[in-house]
This record gives sequence, C-alpha cells and structure tokens, in this order.
Amino acid sequence: MGKSIVITSGKGGVGKTTSSANIGTALALMGKRVCLVDLDIGLRNLDVILGLDNRIIFDIVDVVEGRAKLAQALVKDKRFDDQLYLLPAAQNTDKTALTEDQAKAIVDELKEEFDYVLIDCPAGIEQGFLNAVAGADAAIIVTTPEISAVRDADRVVGLLEKNPLKEESHLIINRIRGHMMADGEAMDVDEITHHLGLPLLGIVLDDDEVIATSNRGEPIVLESENPAGRCYRDIARRLEGETVPLMKIQQPKTGLWSKITHWFSRG
Amino acid sequence: MQAVVLRGNQDGYQLVLDQAASFKEIQEALRELLDNLAADSNATSQISFDVLSNRRLLTAEQNKQLEQIFSDYDHFQIHKVIPDVITIKDAIHLKEQDNVHLATQTIRNGQTLELKGDVLYLGLINEGGRLLTTGNIYVLGSVFGILQAGYPSGEDKVVIGDLQHAQQVRIGEQISIVEADQPVEGSQTVAYVNDLHVLEYGQLSDLKTINPRIYHQMGG
Repeated sequence: MGKSIVITSGKGGVGKTTSSANIGTALALMGKRVCLVDLDIGLRNLDVILGLDNRIIFDIVDVVEGRAKLAQALVKDKRFDDQLYLLPAAQNTDKTALTEDQAKAIVDELKEEFDYVLIDCPAGIEQGFLNAVAGADAAIIVTTPEISAVRDADRVVGLLEKNPLKEESHLIINRIRGHMMADGEAMDVDEITHHLGLPLLGIVLDDDEVIATSNRGEPIVLESENPAGRCYRDIARRLEGETVPLMKIQQPKTGLWSKITHWFSRG
Repeated sequence: MQAVVLRGNQDGYQLVLDQAASFKEIQEALRELLDNLAADSNATSQISFDVLSNRRLLTAEQNKQLEQIFSDYDHFQIHKVIPDVITIKDAIHLKEQDNVHLATQTIRNGQTLELKGDVLYLGLINEGGRLLTTGNIYVLGSVFGILQAGYPSGEDKVVIGDLQHAQQVRIGEQISIVEADQPVEGSQTVAYVNDLHVLEYGQLSDLKTINPRIYHQMGG
C-alpha cells in the first residue's frame, strides 16, 4: 500500500506542477513506483512538463464516467522502466466534473499499486482543491519567497488544519534567489518556515534551466549537475526518510577584498 | 410549613415560597395571605414585596400568574422575584463572560477565532487572521492580523500588548489601521476608545486613568 501526497499552494504559478513532475521523477529514479495524478482539470499541463502530452488517450474524467478503465488511462513514461505513470486531467471540462468521493476512490485504487501517488492540485481553494485533498494522506505546500505566495500558503495550511490529513504537512520553498535573500529584499528561508509553522521538506533554487528543461518535456532532476535538480533529488530522499542537509543558498565570497574585510572584522 | 411565609426586615417585606409546595398551593396560600393582609392593614401607600422563590425557577407563565394575583389588590405589588438558583445555561454564560480565556492556537490567513469574555492570547495570528471576543484582549503572543475586542459594540473594552505589527485593532465599532496610527513600540500598549469615540493608544502605566474599571478588576 503506497502513500498519497497532494502538492498544493493556494496561489498559482509558484511551481506546483514543476515540483510534482520533478519529485515524481526523482522518486522513480530511486526505484520507487510512482503515479502522478493531474487534477488541474481544464488546464492540464503536468503531461507537457513530463513530455507525455502526445501520448494521452483517456483521462481521469473518462475513468470516472466509465468510458475507460483506470489502467487504460495511465500514461507510462518510457524513460523509466515501469516506474513512472501519469493519470492525465481532462481538458474539455472543468473542476466540477469530479467529486471528492470520486477523486478519493481513484487515488485509493492507485495506492494499491504504486509506492507514491502524487496529486498535482490546481490553484485556488475551490472544488479542485477539495478534490485534490480528498484522497491525500499528506500534503506538500509549495511557496516562493514572495509575500503573496506565503499569504496564500498560510490560508491553505489553515484549511488543511481544519480537516487534518493523516500526516503532517510539509513545506517546499521554491525559486529561491540567493542574492535577494542576502540583501533582505525577499523573505528568507527561516522567516517563511517560522511564519507558516511547518516542517521544511526542502528548498529549490531559482534556475533558468528549470524553464528550459520543462519546455523540452524533461524534468530538471534528470540533469545531474544542475543545482535545482539536486534540490528536488534531496527532497525525494527526505520523503524516503533520509537525512539530507539543506543546500547552501550562496557560496561565501572568496575574493581578495572579502578576505581583507573578514580579517579586519575578526580583530 | 406554610406554602408562603411573610417576612419583614430592614429591606422591606419578603414573601418566601416553600420549595416543597406545589405552585397551586403557593397560589392559594398567597391569595389567602394577601386577603388577610388587606383586611388587617389600612395602608394607603403602595407596599412592594420581594418574592424569594428559593431553589425554584418560575416560568414566565408562573410569573404572570403571580402578577395576576397581586393585581387584584390595590396596594400590593411585586418588587422582584429572587431565586437562589440559575439555569446551567445562564451559569455557563456567566462563567464565559467572567473568565479570562487562554487561547494558544495559530490563527491563519482567512481564519476567525471567535470567543466570549476576556482573552489572554499566547498564539500567533498571521496576516489576514482575526481574533474576536466580547471582552478585553491581552496579548502575549505575536499578532500580525486583526484583533477585535468588545465585539460587536462594547466600546468600554481594551486591547493590551504588543500591537505594533497588527494589521488592525478594533474595539466595538471603532477601527484603527495600525500602520497609519503608529502605536508606540513595546509590549505595554493599551488600545482603548476615548470619550470622543476614537480609538487611541496609551501606555499600560496609564490604565488607571484610561479605564479605571478594568484597572480595579485586575486588582490594581
């Protein structure tokens, strides 16, 4: 019996779908059997990021309405030998095409077969959110170091606390720009974690390559050297219970001038 | 023991209703007693009675029936009915009003915690969170959201604590936008509504002049 995790944020555009794709892929790389469920019905794009968009035959609404069996609708990612599957969202209807009970039934069925069922939640706190949360055992809240994203995350955490899931929610802070945090222009990691009162699952550095790779339909975790990819691999390892230290956000300056100031500041 | 006993003391006349008697017996005994009294006295001024109902709560209907009996006599009237007991509902209400509630939970964006009576708040209110209560609010926790004391209309209440980072402080119907009104830094700020119905900030050391009643209630 696997575990279902919803990836949510409240605000749109903070990287829920990118995080779902990358964490899922990272877990698959670790040898886990993973199913990604796209619940952003009407605005699906998890399939695009995974590069599976032209293989979709049936979707989740087809399954619910009996036009297809669940197994028929699953899209297999051929890069990973039987490890990674996607249950795509429907594109020609909206969030109300699904009820919470139906969503939960599908997730429960997938949990029988997979180690991880990752549910990609749509933005907002309406029916789509309720559907996504219905079948989840745990939640990962994604935010960025922006006040608006943190506020919405706070709202979502509040909603989750009212109807608690089986396990505690965890936090991912996405799109971290080291220089802005160092300058005090953006909220720093400790500030956000403390504000939301959630255990930190990981941070993800901002990197142009994340956009570039997802445009090619290849999750960034497949780039072994990329720092953002490493962040996602670290997150996957923490989900598996490993203790992995947080990545350093900015390397200390080692130029001549900073050495001199450092020498003086010691005195 | 008779169903109704007349007593007099320095506070006036009292009619004590026997707890064990039925209401019907009480009605009969009362009528008899008032008959005798009316015959005996040649009073020309009004006499009011306190009715002590002991551990009996009279229903509205029973109260009306008592009034009915008294209305038959020109010079007699009920001052008030005083029972020794209250309902559990009233007792809880009293307790709620009188107690200082301890609240520790986090109030997040979009959430409202509504309480009754005074609140000692030890938790965290994030931006967009709201704490409402009918009484006063004493803050020891961190507040980045909205505090409302004296909800919905008690302007005699106060909010005490570090209010600097709150979004708004409201007392009764008065609202202060904290960023605009800039209360002084520190954990001893008192927000209150002044004689001109304007929400103002003062210091805890001035509470005696700001709101003597709360000051004395705290044992000052």
